[in-house]
Amino acid sequence: MIPGKVRITRDDFDPGQILQEARSGTLGALVSFVGVVRDDGIERMDLEAYEEVAEVELARIREQAISRFGVSHVDIVHRIGMLKVGDHIVMIVVGASHRKAAFEGCEYIIDRIKESVPIWKKEYTAEGSRWVAGEHE
Amino acid sequence: MMISVRVRAFARFRELFGERFEVAVPEPATIRDVVMAVGQSNANGMGELLDSGGRVKSSVIILVNRERVTGTHREDHPVADGDEVAIYPPVAGG
Repeated sequence: MIPGKVRITRDDFDPGQILQEARSGTLGALVSFVGVVRDDGIERMDLEAYEEVAEVELARIREQAISRFGVSHVDIVHRIGMLKVGDHIVMIVVGASHRKAAFEGCEYIIDRIKESVPIWKKEYTAEGSRWVAGEHE
Repeated sequence: MMISVRVRAFARFRELFGERFEVAVPEPATIRDVVMAVGQSNANGMGELLDSGGRVKSSVIILVNRERVTGTHREDHPVADGDEVAIYPPVAGG
């Protein structure tokens, strides 16, 4: 059983705390990715998910990263709900004995999230709102 | 004999068709029957769901009972009474 967790939440998270909790004596590398709401002239962003399926898909991606790269710790936390510029969107922490597997596992996970996890973003600007196009339209 | 299918729509499709609703389709039913019933519920619906050739657009993602249905013959996938069919546009999380 590889340590770590998958979570979809309406609450903010503390990247430092998640990273701290991932530490263990057997890990030589911890790679983290934090996605943040970028200021593209927007006032806020609403994230929507098909939660039941998104959680299963995140867990599936986590398992695939573990078997593909041999990493030994994976956390994935993804927020939904209304966010403002600078807010955290997603955090991935991948731990491994060595850095290469941790880097590769982390990149694999964020790429797969963008490809298959049912989450959408709606941006609100002073003029109105727009759905963010997926990278796999 | 009509069956009732529970539909869930997300993002742009939720705004067009509603978040959760039921459609009645004649038995034996397929994904295509459900998509047609959903599309008819909104004046702009068909254009969002079907391409110019009348096929369900490849960009429309479809799940039956939370499992994604893919492939060139996905429109023929059977749907049973009480099934949950989800439709959504390409995802944009992360």
